[in-house]
Amino acid sequence: MSHRILIIDDEDDIREVAALSLETVAGWDVAMASSGAQGLARAAEYHPDAILLDVMMPGMDGPSTFRELRKNPATSKIPVLLLTAKVQSNDQRRFADLGVEAVLFKPFDPLTLSTQISGILGWS
Amino acid sequence: MTESVPQQALNEALDRLWKQFLPQIEDRVAAIESASQALASGELTDVQRDAAHAAAHKLAGVLGTFGLTRGTILAREAEFLCSGDADPAAASQLSEIARQLRALVAQHQ
Repeated sequence: MSHRILIIDDEDDIREVAALSLETVAGWDVAMASSGAQGLARAAEYHPDAILLDVMMPGMDGPSTFRELRKNPATSKIPVLLLTAKVQSNDQRRFADLGVEAVLFKPFDPLTLSTQISGILGWS
Repeated sequence: MTESVPQQALNEALDRLWKQFLPQIEDRVAAIESASQALASGELTDVQRDAAHAAAHKLAGVLGTFGLTRGTILAREAEFLCSGDADPAAASQLSEIARQLRALVAQHQ
């Protein structure tokens, strides 16, 4: 089954690899945004089934973007998975406490990223 | 073993993306190299340190995604060395990490 995923990440290489992975391996439709502000607008118009959201971004970071997504009725129910290169356990706990569906870590395996997301969201 | 069609298509596309993003990956390695040189000469500015820290953080995230797991490990070490007040005694370690990162990236082409 095809799904619609929005990737919000300021790093264009990560964004492109994640999109490539989800499109090529899983056949999902992918939209991208390069900032939190752009991601909020894109989420409201694209209505994705899930959002892959980078933590560290200039301006509005991932946690702030997540809180704004939750405030908007049009985006408040969309599952959000945080994507981070931070590996310290206190960071992981802080992110999990936000209320996101899951925290995924960079680097990720492009071959299995879609399987990982499907498993978390019960799409398998 | 023969690769499945999605895996082969993915690998080919990843190769294209690697070539596309190689200049910015090399720029990030260069930021760490510059910081290590400045640290060795006692002239590391906060701006240079922060740039090297950000570059290392981004390299840690992306190199493993392209299959360079060792690159992610090295970049995380550089990120740690560039966090807070970088210790001048760490200059040689940071320089060696930058050298190894440069070599890994060059070999992957």
